[in-house]
Parts: sequence; C-alpha cells; structure tokens
Amino acid sequence: MHARSEPARAVENAEPMLSVRDLRVHYRSSRFGIERDVKAVDDVSFAVRRREIYGLAGESSAGKTTLTKSIAGAVRPPMVFVGGSVDFAFLSGYGGLHRAPPAEVARIRWRHLAYIMQSSMSLLNPVRQLRSTFIDFAYPHIGGSRSQFEQEVVAHLARVQLDPSVLAAYPHQLSGGMRQRAILALATICRPDLLIADEPTSALDVLVQREVLGMIRGIQRETGSSVLLVSHDMGVHALATDRLGIMYAGRLVEEGATPEIFRSPLHPYTRHLISSLPRIGDDAPHEGLESAPPNLADPPSGCRFHPRCPLAREACRRQVPPMQEAAPGRRVACFALETGQRDE
Amino acid sequence: MLDVSGVSKSFVRGGLLSRQRILAVDQVSFQLDARRPEIFTIIGESGSGKTTLARMILNIETPSSGVVSLEGIDLATIRTRSSRVSFLHKVQPIFQNPFESFNPLKRVERYLFMTQRRLFATAGRLSSEKAVDEAMQKVGLSLKEVSHRFPHELSGGQLQRIAIARALLARPKLIVADEPVSMIDASLRISILNLFKALRDELGISIIYITHDLATAYYISDRIMIMRKGRIVETGDARTVLNAPRHPYTRQLREAVLVPEVASVAENASVGTTHAAKSSAPER
Repeated sequence: MHARSEPARAVENAEPMLSVRDLRVHYRSSRFGIERDVKAVDDVSFAVRRREIYGLAGESSAGKTTLTKSIAGAVRPPMVFVGGSVDFAFLSGYGGLHRAPPAEVARIRWRHLAYIMQSSMSLLNPVRQLRSTFIDFAYPHIGGSRSQFEQEVVAHLARVQLDPSVLAAYPHQLSGGMRQRAILALATICRPDLLIADEPTSALDVLVQREVLGMIRGIQRETGSSVLLVSHDMGVHALATDRLGIMYAGRLVEEGATPEIFRSPLHPYTRHLISSLPRIGDDAPHEGLESAPPNLADPPSGCRFHPRCPLAREACRRQVPPMQEAAPGRRVACFALETGQRDE
Repeated sequence: MLDVSGVSKSFVRGGLLSRQRILAVDQVSFQLDARRPEIFTIIGESGSGKTTLARMILNIETPSSGVVSLEGIDLATIRTRSSRVSFLHKVQPIFQNPFESFNPLKRVERYLFMTQRRLFATAGRLSSEKAVDEAMQKVGLSLKEVSHRFPHELSGGQLQRIAIARALLARPKLIVADEPVSMIDASLRISILNLFKALRDELGISIIYITHDLATAYYISDRIMIMRKGRIVETGDARTVLNAPRHPYTRQLREAVLVPEVASVAENASVGTTHAAKSSAPER
C-alpha cells in the first residue's frame, strides 16, 4: 500500500494523467428498422495533466456525462464507443478502460481511478452502515488488518470534516452534505491518481457546496492527484478548476486556463455562457439566447452553434471549425474568431 | 391582495414511540399589495420551509396556525368546488421540473386544454383554442409551434414557457413559482427570468419566486424574504438586502454565492489551502 504511489510520483510531469484523442461516442438505437445515432460526443480531444483540476462545462445534452462515462469505462448499450482513444498514465495500450481485461480494471479501480457519479449522494447502500460500505469498497484495495483500516478511514473522514461516529450511521440519517462528503471520502481514501467527479455539488445547498468544493481542492492538493470536474455551473469552475474545457452539443469548443477563460472568453458560446449569468450588484438587463441546444440525432451542419450564434457566417454552416491554438495553452473552435483577428 | 399572517406549519414524524414534531414554518407574516404588482422572492436553503410556505399559499397544505387570506378570503374556508375554481382563477403555480409537470405520454397542448376546460367550463373548441394560443403568444410561443409535440421533443426552457402559458390561462393575479429555473439550462434561464419581469410589467401579475439562488433573485426581485429553519431572517427591498445584508446568515449566504468571475478564481487558492491547514489528520 505504501509503495503504491511511488511509481506514479516518479514519472512526474512526463505524460498527462489522462489523454483523450478524437473520442466519438454515440447512442445507437434501432426501432422498426430505422437506425438512429445520437452523436453525444463527437471528436473530442483533451488531456488532464498531473496535479491539476480540469473542469468540463456545458449545458445539459452537451455530452459531459457521456464523456465521463466513456472515460470511466462505463460503456454499455445503447452507448457505443465509435472511435478515438482514452489513455491513462497508469493504463495504456487498450485505448479505453472498457477494452481492458477485467483483472486490469479491478487493479485500477479506486487505487488509480475513482469515479463520483452524478447524484452519487443516493448511491450509498441504504440498508448498510457507512462502515460496511467503506469495507465493501475500499478494504479489498487497502488490505491490512481491520483495525488498521478503520483507523485510516477515521483519519480520512477527518479530512472531509466528518466525525468518526458517522461510520455507524445509515445513509438516511445523514444530511445531503454529509452524504456527499462521505462519498468524497470513499472515493479518495485509496488516493487515486485520477478522480472523476460528475456534478459533485449540484444537489447541495449553497453554503455546503462551497465547503465541499474546498474539500475537493484540499484533498487534491494533499494527495497530488488529478481531478476531472464536470459541472454545468460556471461558478463552480471559477472557484475550483485550474483549466477549463467548454462543451457544446457534443464537441469541445474552447479550452484554456480557467482565469483566462473568464477574463477573455473567445468562443461566442463561452462569451454568452459567462455574460448571461445574473450577478448580485449588476442591475443591467441580460439577453437570453433564442432557441434551444440542438437535437444530437440530427445536429446542424458545420459548427453546431451556428443557428444560435450572433457571428455566424457562411463557412460556419458548411464546415466544422477545427480546434486551433489561439494563444499558448488556449484552444478554440471558431471561424469568426480567426478572421475577426485578421481584420483588426 | 395576499395576506399571510402568523402562519406556522408543523409535521409529525416518526412512529408511535419516537414522535417528533417538526416546525417547518414558524410564525411567518407578509403581505402583497394588489395595486403594486411585484416579484416577491423567498430565499432559503433546503429545509428552510420555503416550499411548505408556498404550498400553504397554494392551499395544498393547511397551516397549523395562522391565516393565509387572498382578497379577504381565508383559504381555510375554501371548501366548495366553485370557491376552489374561483381561487384557482386568482392563484396559479409553476413547478420546478418542467419534465415532471407534463405527462410524458400525452401531447403538451392537452395539459393546456384541460386547464382551460376545468377553469372556464366552456365546451367550445374554437374559443379554447383561441385562449390557449393567446396564452402561448404571451410567453413567446404559438400553439402551432408546439401542438402535436410530446414533452421529450421540447427543451426544458420551452416546456417551462408552456407551463407558464398554462398558468396564464386562468388570468391569475398571483403566480407562485417554486424554483422555476433551477432545472433549466443556463443559456435559456435568463429568458425565463425576463419573461417573469414582462408578466409583472405588462400583465400586472404579482409573482412569488421561490429560490435558493441569490443571483437570479437579485436579477428579478423587488422585495425578498430570507428564511432559515422556518423563520424569517431578513426581509426588505431586494437591492438593499443583498447589497448590504444585515443578518449574519444573509451575509453568510451572500458570501457563499459562486461568482463566475476572475476575482473568485484568485481567491480559490485560499479555499484549498485554508482547508488543508485546517485538517489536522495525520499523513499516511
């Protein structure tokens, strides 16, 4: 157990913790002989570096959850892994966790990769005490004697400011915030190299939300792990992430350091996403975007944002704008931006 | 118009042996003036009693003590069908999740036609179609656009607009909206909020907006009331309360708002480190 984390530390800064290349994931259904492909994730590439919190932002149906599921290897029909690859620093050569043999997956899970699913608060077994849940999930990976394990659990619970007495509690006896913190403790007790958290704070009250985000950051700092944090809430990203990727209709449209994106959003969608949010102290009226995010079974041609985009031009309708480097460490997929800069 | 005075509601929880009384709403009073339509916001975290209060105003729940009255009529006295219908003409609800307020197996317009038939008991298909279309126009849609569509074919924003159109059919004086935008995508949220403002300014409808989100509350409210554990913590003009909160709890809430700005990014470093410093747990 003690030796486990050493190899990971040794290859510091060598390769990214997670690299996703040209990933395409569809939902395939066929009814009455009609095939239907919902292109939930389309040609997405990005990398999560070591010791960073990478945020994924976007609205519902942007493909955030599909993306995290395919990274975590939860690929089950109707979800189909169409193309591309997902590689980890601790597992490569398979192109995706779902292709790895079960023994490999078992080796990796919890110790190297932990996944906090959406609405995971309700995933604790309601008829088992928290202690049993910890034993079920984490004991096989940590080993040692039971009392040693329990000591470790208690120490780890202290990091999320939970009292050891919660171990004897059933999930329904805990508040939402406590449950989410328990889940966080459960996911991080083996000190995973990569933690994937899908909307970890969305169901929590504002006061608790801030606290839990602080804890995710605190634990990440302490253990030196990488975190992929998915949230629709730009406020969460502003507070907790180092780098940020913005998704729209299954594609990544912008990526960069979080402060940079907030300071000068480049893609029209990102700009809208940030400027449309009401703020306390700001009395100006805001304009909403018309129409809704596109239907992914039949997405618009070219850039998927063009029907709603104020800067749309002919090229946007015909071609897909490629993800291009706009500045060091900054990538954007937009035609308007390119020519706009040239014009100036 | 609406007078909530000294209203409390308690629930009994547990079995015979371990009975617990939970005071969900404790001595809440406020008034809405019919002459001055406004957006009155109730802010609270989960468990603050804000939804219970809304349910009492909608006459779904009866207060344990205190009186809710609308235009001088105590809601507890509404017993007959006709008085219930006339109450529904004055107050209409909008719920949190538009995907759950519509029957997934029925076309969306059916919900509107049913409301129209219930409230006006008019059999005329043409006249109700006209009324439904009018209501749709008020929310920026048309009957033609949405008819024959099922809920899953529409976005959350569109469905919420249709739910608002349904509420408008009754030509209400008051709309009680419980977290109406929390399930709606950020890019569509603001247009729903703008719609509420338009309802107030153009149709003279008062709106009770219930939320946990201080930023949207600041954006649309005239007055706000902050609740905690069933009690009113602070109440007053929205701008005054949110710009210069007096009560420590309001201040705490105000500080917990996640601001999508660079300023808070600079601050986030401290969030992580203060926690790391706080945790005294021994290293492995």
